[in-house]
Amino acid sequence: MTKTRCTDQVILDLWHPLAALSEVAAGVVVDTVLLEERLSFAIDGEGNAAVWRDRADLAEGSPVDIAVISGKLPLKLAYGYIWTSLGNPPADLFPIPEFDEVDRRKLNAATFGVNVSAPRAIENFLDMGHFPYVHTDILGAEPHTEVKEYDVEISVDRDEILATRCRFFQPMASTASDGGADVDYIYRVPHPYCSVLYKSSPLDESRLDVIAVFLQPIDQEHVRAHMLLCVLDEDNEDKVIKRFQQTIFGQDKPILENQFPKRLPLDPRAETPIRADKSAIAYRRWLSQKGVTYGVIPAAT
Amino acid sequence: MITLYDYELSGNCYKLRLLMSMLGVDWKTVPVDFYPGREHKSDWFLRINPLGQLPVIDDDGLILRDAQAILVYLASKYDAAGTWYPRDNPALLGEVSQWLAFADGITATASAARLHDALFYDFDVEAARTGAHRLFRILDEHLWFGEQEGRDWICSASHPTIADIACFPYIMLSEEGGISRQDYPAIRRWCDRVKRIKGFTVMSGVFPAGPAKAA
Amino acid sequence: MLDLAKSRWHPIAAAHDLPLRHVFHGQLLGREFAVWRADDGYVNIWENRCLHRGVRLSIGINDGRELKCQYHGWRYSNRTAGCTYIPAHPADAPARTITNRTFAAIERYGLVWSAEEPQGEVPEVAGLAEGRLLALRGIPVNAPADVVAARLKGYRFQPSGRIDGSAAKVAVEAASTFSVVLRSSEADATTLAVFFVQPVDSNRSVIRGVLDGQVEGAARLAVLRHHNELLSRLRLAVEAEAAREPAPAPLEPVIERVSPELAEMPEESKHGRKATIRVEVARKWLAADGIAGFELRPIKGLLPTFQPGAHIDVHLPNGLIRQYSITNGPGESDSYVIGVKLERDSKGGSTCLHETVREGDVLAISEPRNNFPLRRDSVKTIFIAGGIGITPLLAMAQALNNQNLVHELHYFAQNEAQLAFPEKTSTLGASLKPHLGLSPDQTGAKLREILSGYGPDKHVYLCGPGPMLEAARHIAAEMGWPETAVHFEYFKNTNVIDDSTSFEVALARSCMTLTVPAGKTILEVMRDAGIDMPSSCEQGACGTCLATVIEGEPDHQDVYLNDAERKSGTKIMTCVSRAKSARLVLDL
Repeated sequence: MTKTRCTDQVILDLWHPLAALSEVAAGVVVDTVLLEERLSFAIDGEGNAAVWRDRADLAEGSPVDIAVISGKLPLKLAYGYIWTSLGNPPADLFPIPEFDEVDRRKLNAATFGVNVSAPRAIENFLDMGHFPYVHTDILGAEPHTEVKEYDVEISVDRDEILATRCRFFQPMASTASDGGADVDYIYRVPHPYCSVLYKSSPLDESRLDVIAVFLQPIDQEHVRAHMLLCVLDEDNEDKVIKRFQQTIFGQDKPILENQFPKRLPLDPRAETPIRADKSAIAYRRWLSQKGVTYGVIPAAT
Repeated sequence: MITLYDYELSGNCYKLRLLMSMLGVDWKTVPVDFYPGREHKSDWFLRINPLGQLPVIDDDGLILRDAQAILVYLASKYDAAGTWYPRDNPALLGEVSQWLAFADGITATASAARLHDALFYDFDVEAARTGAHRLFRILDEHLWFGEQEGRDWICSASHPTIADIACFPYIMLSEEGGISRQDYPAIRRWCDRVKRIKGFTVMSGVFPAGPAKAA
Repeated sequence: MLDLAKSRWHPIAAAHDLPLRHVFHGQLLGREFAVWRADDGYVNIWENRCLHRGVRLSIGINDGRELKCQYHGWRYSNRTAGCTYIPAHPADAPARTITNRTFAAIERYGLVWSAEEPQGEVPEVAGLAEGRLLALRGIPVNAPADVVAARLKGYRFQPSGRIDGSAAKVAVEAASTFSVVLRSSEADATTLAVFFVQPVDSNRSVIRGVLDGQVEGAARLAVLRHHNELLSRLRLAVEAEAAREPAPAPLEPVIERVSPELAEMPEESKHGRKATIRVEVARKWLAADGIAGFELRPIKGLLPTFQPGAHIDVHLPNGLIRQYSITNGPGESDSYVIGVKLERDSKGGSTCLHETVREGDVLAISEPRNNFPLRRDSVKTIFIAGGIGITPLLAMAQALNNQNLVHELHYFAQNEAQLAFPEKTSTLGASLKPHLGLSPDQTGAKLREILSGYGPDKHVYLCGPGPMLEAARHIAAEMGWPETAVHFEYFKNTNVIDDSTSFEVALARSCMTLTVPAGKTILEVMRDAGIDMPSSCEQGACGTCLATVIEGEPDHQDVYLNDAERKSGTKIMTCVSRAKSARLVLDL
């Protein structure tokens, strides 16, 4: 087996996202980086794809027939993205059943490079307390700053963190009314570097919009964040929906890039949690229990 | 009404939003999916701007491209007080133009590094960062001596000009390209001052300043 | 090899780097600092990360009194760096011990000095007279400090009086690892230049130069430009030299761990009535008719962080212990200001403070304790103060005023002369609404007017004499204010305490069962059994000795809990309240 720079077997054995299928030109080599390893991938026009370790004879941009490539890495096409692994990945990726609902709009809002570790980015994704300060007048607004009690559990069915009964005040919560209102959220962390959130749909109160972040770890302190939108929206153009999500992500970016240390400290005494951070506390413990060492500062044992 | 062809995360588009907000001018936005959609290279957009670049404005049929050029236009047309682009003061006008060109240099370096880090543009990022640091050293020195002379802004005036607006965004976003501003304390103070100009507005990646101390 | 001694003072900024309402991004030996000057002039040098999630505080907001983190709006106080407010939990008072790491700060020679573990004084430089010198522009250099300092020995410049000359002789008067003292002379002109080299990181430095003698006007700028040009040239040479060597790895400062109790959900630490702080009465004055103001300054060190609504126990020379609210606005952390009304029926507390205690006296006080926390997530906050009840509400109103949050402070008093602390209330502008000389009926009518128009997310805070509080609570309930929106603090518990019962108290977590006999309180019995329990007023007014009831029916005799809290039977004030059931199980 090829030696990898990353020695964290838990992380090596995971599926990792590389790119949104919709944004890859067919039939040419695309280069990327995963866990400090240079990889290449390509798709054809018929729903086939391949991922392999970067080779001198297949330079980026050159035409390629994926059928003849040898030494392919594991491959999965899911949720509109190409996934691969540098270890022995499980048969299945975590489920997002809503992705199969035909009336949803499914978009890659963007793939952004961020100078931060994957776990710091996940923790930010799980966080509501920052809405009034970082997403001012969009996801939150002062003085409505309270993070109300919510529930966190490690799901019994699956090895994932589940935060339920989350609510946060959002100004202009619905297009129907001018005033703000509490919006419901559910957060899942089904993968150390991926998270899925469900949020009240402004269109259909019985259903939830789904927004997921899939982080591609470039190295321990750099990621590419792929953002999947799986939403109910019949009116807006794709680009309008994407613009909203990019605005939100762009607001989080300077926070993430100013966190120190960049890797997530798992020592419970490294930072000061409050009740609002229940899901983050659970996430840090879950990473510790799994023995994750990549992108984190493990607690001293 | 002005139409702005806009991408939220573009510092060049932000320059125009900033100035229009400070001038109290209304505008409407046509979003352009710069990333990942590359809509600025689409046929419809190339008809508006054959260079395939943002921003572009359409002011009652007058179509203009290039952030700095549009700043000149907006200030000339909509600033009744004539301070943002001081047409009647040749020396000051020369200074403004000089720093508008400097702002282009910031775009070519600091913005390029950001495009490399965030949007994976195939640029020589080390060269871009080195270039940005060289410009920031020059600007920090200029602003520090300005403070010593009692001047708050980039040009020799008691008020901000479009030179400040043109330089501000990609300086403020430089950390997204791995360019720290820690070594430029005078630039950091000037950023606070820009954020306190009446009508200041933020973009993703730029935080507001707190209030100045009441006199 | 770079000297990494943490005990050595280094300059980390120039004084002119710290204008008001700005946060400077500093660094010394790899450790980053957020450096900010409060409106009162105090220079704060803090670890550059919020204790919550590690976000740099140098991107935060200096509001003149507190530093606000951009991520979650946590607020940290001037001087103490203690967290005063956590917006995600507006109903809670943050644990006092959430305190960021602070570093020593000394202003000298136009520079701000610090050290991680300073020993001794900031170095004295012969020939540099404070106030009569010129600080040069700091020059950041990408090179190790020792390399820079070595180069500086060869620095050549003109004396300030002969800036246009070219024949100056420059002599090295002194040199060490981090500083070089040079004297330049030409004809009758001579200038002493001292260059301190700040070791920012293993491969980064800042040259901070200071010249003796003041130069004015255009000549001053010429001197500054002269050195800026020469030092920039020197920088290019040093950087070229340093670039020939492999860059040393950046220094990795060790980040202190937070205290163990903060690693879990924050809980207040347990205290008895401890007079842990000694203060001097720095000023005593007539704050209003019949009200004495006291400014209490620490004998040594800093006072602990306080939050609006907090009170302190004051241990009086006659042995009595009394509680007084801190009236300070946010960030006013160099002293505590309290107001003491001379009570006609004083049992010796207010009389002692009014008549015996004088300026210069030393008193013992407790740490501030906040059982009257202020929510700041209200769309409108109404404060209603009666007489000396102004004191906690004054601190609260100043906090909201500082954050531009909507509030009104209704201040009921007999006449204008009885309005206390005019120098503080005057900063509140139109939000201060005095109501003077009203009869009880008129007061009721005014309260009705103030409390009309309840809406969601409005809160009212009451403090004043018992009858007025009763009336206000009653009216608030009538006008539709839910109990959760009505917050109050009584001066004292005027209930007649019935301590004739006897019952059993089981402490669930301590696995102890105690018997409380008639004539003793739960608190006293627990103390006798060695259970440390915080308390303050010990008469059922302040809320410090609150305990959670798991089982049994409390017999409430306090004035701290509201009706809903009483009915729920889940809380008890252990200093006065007792049990109706034979047994109480407490979560202690």
